[in-house]
Amino acid sequence: MSDFVQYLVNGLTIGAFLALIALGYSMIYGVVRLINFAHGDVFMIGAFAGFGVLTTLGATGGMALPAVLAAVAAGALATGVLGAGVARAAYLPLLASPRLAMLIAAIGVSLALEEGVKVLTHARFKSYPNALDGGQVMSGAVRVTYGQLALVLLAVALMAGLWLFVTRTVTGTAMRALAMDRDAARLQGIDVERLVLATFFAGSLLAGAAGVMYGLYYTQISFGMGFLIGLRAFTAAVLGGIGNLPGTMAAGVCIGLVQSFSAGYVSSRWTDVIIFGLLIAVLALRPTGLFGERVVERA
Amino acid sequence: MKTLRRPDATALARHAGWPLLLLAALAAGQVLDDYAVTVAGTILIYAILGLGINIVVGYAGLLDLGFAAFFAIGAYTSGLLMLKLHWGFWATLPVAVLAAAASGVVIGYPTLRLRSDYLAIVTLGFGEIIRITVVNLDVTGGPNGLTGIPPVTVGGREIVTPPDFFYLALAFFAAVLVLTGLLARTRLAYAWRAVRADDRAAEAVGVPTRRVKLLAYVLGAAVGSVAGPLNAAQLGTVDPSSFTFLTSLMILLVVIIGGMGSRPGVVVGAVVVVALPEALRTVQEYRGLFFALLLVLIVLVRPQGVWPARPRRFARPAAAGPEPAPPAAGGGVLEVEGLTRRFGGVTAVEDLSLRAGAGEVVSVIGPNGAGKTTAFNCVTGMIAPDAGTVRVAGRRVHGLAPHRVAAAGLARTFQNIRLFEELTVAENVLVGRFARDRSLLRPPSRADAAAVRRCLEFTGLAEAADRPAGGLPYGDRRRLEIARALAAEPRALLLDEPAAGANPTEKRALMDLIGRVRARGVAVVLIEHDVALVMSVSTRVVVLDRGRAIAAGPPAEIRADDRVIAAYIGVPDDPDAGLQAEVLR
Repeated sequence: MSDFVQYLVNGLTIGAFLALIALGYSMIYGVVRLINFAHGDVFMIGAFAGFGVLTTLGATGGMALPAVLAAVAAGALATGVLGAGVARAAYLPLLASPRLAMLIAAIGVSLALEEGVKVLTHARFKSYPNALDGGQVMSGAVRVTYGQLALVLLAVALMAGLWLFVTRTVTGTAMRALAMDRDAARLQGIDVERLVLATFFAGSLLAGAAGVMYGLYYTQISFGMGFLIGLRAFTAAVLGGIGNLPGTMAAGVCIGLVQSFSAGYVSSRWTDVIIFGLLIAVLALRPTGLFGERVVERA
Repeated sequence: MKTLRRPDATALARHAGWPLLLLAALAAGQVLDDYAVTVAGTILIYAILGLGINIVVGYAGLLDLGFAAFFAIGAYTSGLLMLKLHWGFWATLPVAVLAAAASGVVIGYPTLRLRSDYLAIVTLGFGEIIRITVVNLDVTGGPNGLTGIPPVTVGGREIVTPPDFFYLALAFFAAVLVLTGLLARTRLAYAWRAVRADDRAAEAVGVPTRRVKLLAYVLGAAVGSVAGPLNAAQLGTVDPSSFTFLTSLMILLVVIIGGMGSRPGVVVGAVVVVALPEALRTVQEYRGLFFALLLVLIVLVRPQGVWPARPRRFARPAAAGPEPAPPAAGGGVLEVEGLTRRFGGVTAVEDLSLRAGAGEVVSVIGPNGAGKTTAFNCVTGMIAPDAGTVRVAGRRVHGLAPHRVAAAGLARTFQNIRLFEELTVAENVLVGRFARDRSLLRPPSRADAAAVRRCLEFTGLAEAADRPAGGLPYGDRRRLEIARALAAEPRALLLDEPAAGANPTEKRALMDLIGRVRARGVAVVLIEHDVALVMSVSTRVVVLDRGRAIAAGPPAEIRADDRVIAAYIGVPDDPDAGLQAEVLR
């Protein structure tokens, strides 16, 4: 029983990160109909940016929390700019091309980011500074640390912020309009290119924040970390129903739980087989995901 | 119209290019050193994989990001049979191909309804599942893979030296090349290109799209899987780390660099993908980065690849051949009873009944949003009706897939024209023939060619036959849709606003065309807003308003019907107001 609760706690923590990444996939797919393959690598870059900040500040002990927040903010900002920049250079020129072209460009960007970091880090793992408070909210059979709690709260705060942004601001409303009909949105005076960049910025920002949080939680990062995490998060985005933000958040947590429980009760060697098997099965039965999509397929 | 063909440079390249290339390869096997010959053998393996993925991605337009899975399935099936059951290489080959084809069904079938980019993720997931599974299982040797695979024997001789292996790979490549060449001539190849251009339109004109897509997966997997046993025989091992996502990307890169759908492009792509990293061995660590940037650059600068596809054009015959016998006249050709369709709380079509006999023109008119196109979509099977029956020549067709409805003799055009833009005019019409004849694995028949010719002449498009449909002027596009529908030799023809956007001359031509179609005993159902046109061509008119038929009868009756006038113009609150008179004027 205590195993079960522990897996649940771990799953919820991982799920919070996955949900943050999945939201970016979902938003970007909504406005440009692109599976942004490079999104997982943007997450990885975020982890490295946060690593840079933390090692520079030399965060330990008492000043840990401000340093952690600074690292998350810096990682998020760096990836936001990176995401928008990549979109400007590689995706916007292909906005009018067949969708396959943009997807292939995204695959290329993903590989370029990964290989670039591989060269820069000499393909080595980096150990994250242990900046999280190790104190335990609960100890004994089930362990919950303050750090874990802080990360989950931060993730929830970011998601709430996104939700307010998308539903309450003019830019967010324009984004939703763009997801429904690009041409109609353009005719209403929406600057499509600028808004696409804004979406990439926002989506990448969340992924970058998740990257720093992942580094703090697992304390080890490498150039290749984005690939599988990205795939799992994308699975969550599809299961939640692309463009459906609450659905995506819920599905992110679900995938986190699947990951945690399958690692606990089966073996972590089979985790991805289970996740992808689930993806294929769900899509075969419900092609629009568990909670239904919110994007309109153009006739 | 070309009757004579000069043996020009393109024709030479088309017919002599492959034999020359194979001859050059044979000579190369003699002069190159062992290292170069080994690299050349690997190029051939990637070329075979490229020819396989070219079917899926290039022809059918289904993105596959896990193609290495079929490579792995081929290699492991063959390797395991040789090691555990001591089969010979040649006996394992057909089993390996069958195993890959079967897994093509497994991955293809559940994903057929998915939007195209989800497909990419599902194939990627499948590739990872296969890779992780072979790494985790003991029987497949875990992370070490299979070792000690015996060499291939050909006529008692063991293939061990690099040149010998190169010739073996060349023979495999040549066989696969011939096979895919034959495939490119079949009706299936046209169906793939139609599906890639617009799969819903392809389904509506009679292409069994699910089967066609599934065949792309199965045949692509079967072709690509041949590379697996070959690779196992070359190395003597099967190493799971050679089937990663990166391998899938390399295989995809082969067709993207070369040009999707282009077989010569596959060879170019394979040379670049295999030989370039060898050339860059001195800067090993920058290799991946270089490739990634190359990929982005190619998509941005030359999205069609370095050797763009020039698909074999469908050639028309000189003569149209005899007219087919007109369908037996008499009775109701199209009978719709009690058709109902709701969307949420909105009833788009309610209890609609419609009959059209041979040689009749029945028009459906009504204000925008009256449910006319929804009714068409229900009749043709594109939307499932909630209730009601549809019969074509007495045969029930409701509940059937659109391509089966088309095969039953019901052809249609679309309100927003849906042509296969990259196909030529003649090829568009050829695809319309699938409603008549669904056979896939043979070249277009003489009857196909004759029908295409006839339909083009009937609609006055013969001169434009070899032009891409995407470049036609608007009026011709409308006529091409009708020609495509007529290629099915339908019993009933459903035209959805064929006169929209037409000028008076084009409208007269359309009326003439409708007249000639009905004269051949086809029942014509017409949705149209141009009331003058409707009144002059129709046998009967049905008026729809908010999903219901509010009036039906000969044109003269409809013109005088108060309910029709009310539906179109509305009834003034104050009968004395001059509104009605004003609008009518």
